[in-house]
Amino acid sequence: MVKFLTKQVHLPYVGPVGLWVLLFVLIPMGVAVYLSFVTSGPHSRIIHEFTLDNYRALFTSARLLILARSFQYAVVTNVVCLLVGYPLAYWIVRHGGRFKLLLLGGMIVPSWISQLLRLYALRRLAGDPGIINSVLLGLGVISSPVKMLFNPTAVVFGLIFVWLPFMMLPIYASLEGLDQSLLEASVDLGATPFKRFFTVTLPLTKGGVFAGTILCLIPAFGDWLSPLILGGDRVLMAGSLVRLYFISVGNFPLGAAVAVILTAAVLLMIYIFIKLGGEEAIERLV
Amino acid sequence: MKAGKIADIIQRLGVILVYVVLWMPIVILVILSFSSHAIGLRWQGFTLQWYVQVLNTPKAMEALKNSLFVSTVATVISTIGGTLAAYGLYKYKFRGRSALRMSVLLPITIPYVVTAATLLIFFTQVIRIPMGYITIIIAHITFSAPLAVFIVLGRMARVDWTLEEASADLGADKLTTWRKVIVPVLLPAIMISAALIFPWSFNDFTITYFVAGVGTMTLPIYIFSLMQYCRTPVVINAISSVFVVLPIIGLLLVTFLQRKETT
Repeated sequence: MVKFLTKQVHLPYVGPVGLWVLLFVLIPMGVAVYLSFVTSGPHSRIIHEFTLDNYRALFTSARLLILARSFQYAVVTNVVCLLVGYPLAYWIVRHGGRFKLLLLGGMIVPSWISQLLRLYALRRLAGDPGIINSVLLGLGVISSPVKMLFNPTAVVFGLIFVWLPFMMLPIYASLEGLDQSLLEASVDLGATPFKRFFTVTLPLTKGGVFAGTILCLIPAFGDWLSPLILGGDRVLMAGSLVRLYFISVGNFPLGAAVAVILTAAVLLMIYIFIKLGGEEAIERLV
Repeated sequence: MKAGKIADIIQRLGVILVYVVLWMPIVILVILSFSSHAIGLRWQGFTLQWYVQVLNTPKAMEALKNSLFVSTVATVISTIGGTLAAYGLYKYKFRGRSALRMSVLLPITIPYVVTAATLLIFFTQVIRIPMGYITIIIAHITFSAPLAVFIVLGRMARVDWTLEEASADLGADKLTTWRKVIVPVLLPAIMISAALIFPWSFNDFTITYFVAGVGTMTLPIYIFSLMQYCRTPVVINAISSVFVVLPIIGLLLVTFLQRKETT
C-alpha cells in the first residue's frame, strides 16, 4: 500500500486537470454519443430506447447536404487562408525588417478580438443598410443598395476573415525557426529560388502548415457565427444545426448526432494531419 | 532588374491589402463610435454620447462586471491547474501519460460547438445544475486549462532544472521549492498563458451562448442581444472599442514578458 502511494507522486500534479478532463470532456462526450442513439419525445423528454433514427434522419435528408457543404466551406476557407497566409508569413520573415513586430502584432491582435464583433463589423460594412452601400448611394455610383450578405460567398468570406490569423501565425513561427544555413547550402548547390522553395523551405515548414490547417479548418468546419451573422441563418452549416437542435428546437438526440458526426470527422482529419505532418504539427499548435 | 522591382511593389501591395481587409471593418466600427449618427453608418460630427450612454446603462456595466469576474476566475483556475499538470506530465513517467496528453489536447482540437453542446448535455441531463455563471466558468476552464498545460509544457523543456535538485539537496521541502524555484522559473510561461486565456475567455461567445442559460449576461452575450434588438446600433461600436483596446494591451504585455523570458 505504501509502495503504491509513493508510486503515485504524479497524482497531485496531473490529478486535478486529469479529473477535470474526465468529468467535463470525456464523460460529456460519452453521454453525447449515447444520446445520439436514443430519441426524444414530447417536451424534449429523452426516451431511452436504442435507435438509429437520428443518424438516418441526418443521412437521408437535406441535412446531409448541410454537413457536406460545411466541409466544403471549411476546405475553401483553409485553402484561401493557406494561399494568403503562407506567402504573407514568408514575406514578413524575409522582408519585414523593422516592421516585423508591427506586422506580426497586426495579425495577432485580430485573433484576440471577439469573433462576434469582427463579424458584426463586416455586417455593418457590407449590409443593407450598411456603410459601403450608404457611401456608394451617397456618391451616386449605384441607385439601389447592393445585396452582399446572406449568401454562401459572404459566409465563406467571414470564415476566411476570422480564421486567417490562425493559419498564418503557426506558419510564421515555423518559417522563423528555419535554419538559414540550409537555404544558403541549397543556393550554393545551384538550386533556383523556385526549386529551393519546393525542395527545402516548404518541406521543412510543413509542420507549421499542418498546425495552421488544424487551427483553421476545424474551427471553420464547426463555425456557426459566420453563417448566423453574415448568412442570416439562410446559409446553414453543421454548427448552425447543432445550435438549432440544442437551443431553438430542444431536440438533444438529433443535435448530439450532429455533434458526434462532426467530432468523428474532425478526429479523422487530425489523425491524417498528424500522419502527414508528424509530431511537429501538434507541437506548433500552441 | 526592373521586373524584380515591380514584383517587389506588387508583393508589398499584396501585404498591405491583406492588412487593410483584416483591419478596416473593425477600425471603421471604432471610428464611427465617435460619430453622432445613431445607426453608425456615416460620420456626422464628433461625440462621446454613445460612450456616456453605455456607461449609464446598468445592464451593460453589469455584463462587463460579470465578464471580468468569469474571465478572472477561469484564468486563475486554468493557469494553476495547467501549470501543475504540465509539471506532472514533464517530470513523471506514469501509466496513462500519453493518454492524458491526448485527452488534454481534445478540447483545443474539436470544434468549439461540440465542446459547448456536450457540456450543455452534461449540465442538463447528467448533473442537472442550473445554467449560469458556474456553468460558464466550467466551460471556460475546460477549454483554457489545456492551453495553459501546453504553453507551460513548452517552457518546461527549456528550463535548467539543476536548481530544483539543489533546493531539494539543501533540504527544502516541496512547497518551498515550488515557491522559491519552480514558480519563478515558470513565471513567464504562466503569465503568457494567463495573457492568452483571459482575452479568450472574455471574448468567448460561441461556447458561452450554449451554457449561459436565461438571464445570465456576459459582455459578448449582451452585445449579441443588442445586435438583435437595439435601435441605436452605434452603442455596440462604443463597446467594441473595449474589445479592440484590450488585446492590444495584452499583446504589449506578452511581448514584454517574452523579452524577459529570453533574457
